[in-house]
Amino acid sequence: MPRRPLLFSLLLLFSFLLLVACSVHDQGYSLPAQHPPEADLGRNRPTCTDCHEERGGPLAFADFNHTAYFAESHRNAAGRNVQVCNMCHQPSFCNTCHATGIELKPSVKNQSDTYSRTPHHGDYLSRHRIDGRIDPGSCFRCHGNPKAARTCAPCHG
Amino acid sequence: MNSPCGKLVRRFGFLCGVCGLLLSAPTVAGAMEVRLNSQTLLLFMQRNTSTSADASVIPLYEYLQADIGARSTRGLSFHFYGWAREDLNDSDYYKDNPDGELLYGYLNYSRPFNNLNLRLGRQYVIGGLANNSIDGLSLQTDLGPDFVLSIYGGLPVAFDTTAGRSGDSIFGGRLVWHSDSLHEVGLSYQKTSNDGSTEDQRLGLDLTLALPAGVNLSGRSTYNLESDGFGENFYEARFALSDFNFRTFFENYTYADYFAPGKQTPNPFYVLNRGGEAQTNFGGDVVWRMSSDWEFGAKTKFYTYDVNSSSAAYYSGLITWHGQDLTQIGGEVGTMQGDAADNKYILSRAFFYWDRPAGLPLAFISGDLLYAAYDQPIYGQDNSFFASLGAGQRFLDDRLELKLSGDYSSDPYFDSDLRTMLVANYRFDY
Ligand code: HEC
Ligand code: HEC
Ligand code: HEC
Ligand code: HEC
Ligand code: HEC
Repeated sequence: MPRRPLLFSLLLLFSFLLLVACSVHDQGYSLPAQHPPEADLGRNRPTCTDCHEERGGPLAFADFNHTAYFAESHRNAAGRNVQVCNMCHQPSFCNTCHATGIELKPSVKNQSDTYSRTPHHGDYLSRHRIDGRIDPGSCFRCHGNPKAARTCAPCHG
Repeated sequence: MNSPCGKLVRRFGFLCGVCGLLLSAPTVAGAMEVRLNSQTLLLFMQRNTSTSADASVIPLYEYLQADIGARSTRGLSFHFYGWAREDLNDSDYYKDNPDGELLYGYLNYSRPFNNLNLRLGRQYVIGGLANNSIDGLSLQTDLGPDFVLSIYGGLPVAFDTTAGRSGDSIFGGRLVWHSDSLHEVGLSYQKTSNDGSTEDQRLGLDLTLALPAGVNLSGRSTYNLESDGFGENFYEARFALSDFNFRTFFENYTYADYFAPGKQTPNPFYVLNRGGEAQTNFGGDVVWRMSSDWEFGAKTKFYTYDVNSSSAAYYSGLITWHGQDLTQIGGEVGTMQGDAADNKYILSRAFFYWDRPAGLPLAFISGDLLYAAYDQPIYGQDNSFFASLGAGQRFLDDRLELKLSGDYSSDPYFDSDLRTMLVANYRFDY
């Protein structure tokens, strides 16, 4: 499709939805913009169910518990509603590991934050051959476009 | 302006400009909240470049983040994050890489009423099958108490390197139905085009169900409309039982449909999508927080394939001791056991982070040790060793943090590699 009409129709759609959004009356639940600061989470990975009931509240809180493996197991929790993440994290936090066009490996950028289980710790060039052969699907999520695979190009062409 | 200094000014000029603009913003905008965050990294290392072996490479990185507007309440705000790099030694190590990137820069408007959220500019869209960086517009809103709609459109940032941006587009959206927030079904769609031709077009179905006995089931299936097939099915169940958190999952990928068959799919994925392969993995993890001090975890993942007959399994266990604040000592041992000899390794890691070490004028000391052993040598070496030691201190009411770390690595790629890094984090609030 040529670009102009496409952009134009998108714009129309947006304005229409905006109108609808502003006119429909909604009694639904609204997340706070920020997790209440008075909750005083500390700087450690939070276990939501320490303070929230698993059921009956606005979320299935157990799904958001930041267990020791959360750094590699948050895909469903995040894909469902990022506004939950946004209560406590800014997008720049996610960009450490997820970015279209970041050069430094997460574990290098935050090298001294050893408590974080960032992916690709240590020498990953060697290990990646094995991980990549066994589970290429898991790499595609972050390296599956030309920009995010630029560091791969010298060897993979 | 060809001196290193002049270059620096030029390279970081853009970021400085943004900085200046932002600093003058409060006078313009009155009582608006402004937060700046600058992270400056200086690395020293030796790398082979096209002109010399073991050349000193001294990249200076600047990561700048700015947020203007209220954070705790809703309304209008602006968010910016980007980085730039300059090699102070002028080696050609980075000659094929860009010297910086705008990661995001968008205006955000939100209000509690209808959970309306509107974003304009470079941003990440996440939700359902979307996990993309776009230059464009996105909108999320409730449609009555039972539905949530989000749509977005613009230019895909991922393709801005391929033959310019004309003819590039990305658009999509997600419609969610929820009876309450514990049960959800979402339908998402995305189409990307590069230089006028369709790259990728997918449909996604995601769901979240609160089952009896505290079990939460969630997952997603993605259908590739270009190649006509399910690329991905991923489902997991989680539940918490006293101090235990359990998770089991099942996933399945059909390469020809998952690794987008578009022309811009980079290697090695483009090659992989030709082989008619499909992969099915399952496994789980459990984490036991025995007390506020001790945390134990175990994880397994099994891999099987349709075409390739060799399967694989990964097992790992970890222990962490938590002290005051972020103080931690931890260890982890894992092993990848593929049927093929070149698919086996053992990986072990030990780390500590000592927050506000008693008696020392430091904010923290941290250390990391990693050892990997491969069944089959890679370039004649069957192991990798990595060690890192770091320390930091904070100044100016904790607004400025300085960190120094040194990393050593001996592995198949580097006989003996030493890298040092100096980091300055500066936080600025109006
Ligand atoms: C240290 C205790 C603590 C932890 C841990 C914690 N919260 Fe909270 N949370 C609170 C308090 C206190 C409030 C404000 C009172 C309330 O609304 O329940 C709150 C409020 C919320 C709200 C708004 C509730 C409402 O009714 O509008 C959400 C959503 C939320 N938290 C999500 C989370 C998530 C997700 C996690 C885990 C990643 C988490 N919280 C971890 C203490 C905590
Ligand atoms: C209630 C606040 C809260 C919410 C909600 C929350 N997080 Fe976190 N998260 C934290 C804190 C605190 C940390 C630990 C501090 C850090 O690592 O910088 C953390 C750490 C993390 C980490 C790093 C874990 C590691 O081992 O290094 C990831 C990844 C993460 N969060 C992702 C998410 C995602 C995705 C969501 C939304 C589904 C989310 N968080 C929601 C507070 C929260
Ligand atoms: C410590 C590194 C790290 C951080 C920080 C992090 N992630 Fe992730 N994220 C990962 C990894 C690793 C995966 C892949 C997990 C897998 O293979 O299932 C992932 C997967 C995802 C996915 C699924 C992508 C897809 O295409 O299926 C989403 C969405 C996501 N993360 C969102 C977020 C958000 C939102 C944040 C910030 C709140 C965040 N992540 C922070 C490491 C991280
Ligand atoms: C959560 C996102 C994420 C996932 C999932 C991910 N990576 Fe990465 N990876 C990155 C980032 C960010 C970098 C640093 C920037 C770059 O090199 O593009 C990186 C860098 C790399 C590097 C360069 C390492 C170096 O030392 O120079 C390799 C190789 C690599 N990844 C391979 C893989 C493989 C193989 C997988 C799958 C098993 C994978 N990655 C999964 C985010 C991810
Ligand atoms: C220094 C060179 C180098 C770099 C850089 C590199 N790779 Fe590799 N990669 C290899 C080698 C060598 C293999 C093993 C090939 C084989 O087994 O035949 C491999 C294998 C793989 C595999 C397994 C599939 C296959 O083709 O065998 C994946 C997936 C993979 N790499 C992903 C990546 C990604 C993603 C990046 C960039 C983030 C990356 N690689 C960067 C050298 C590299």
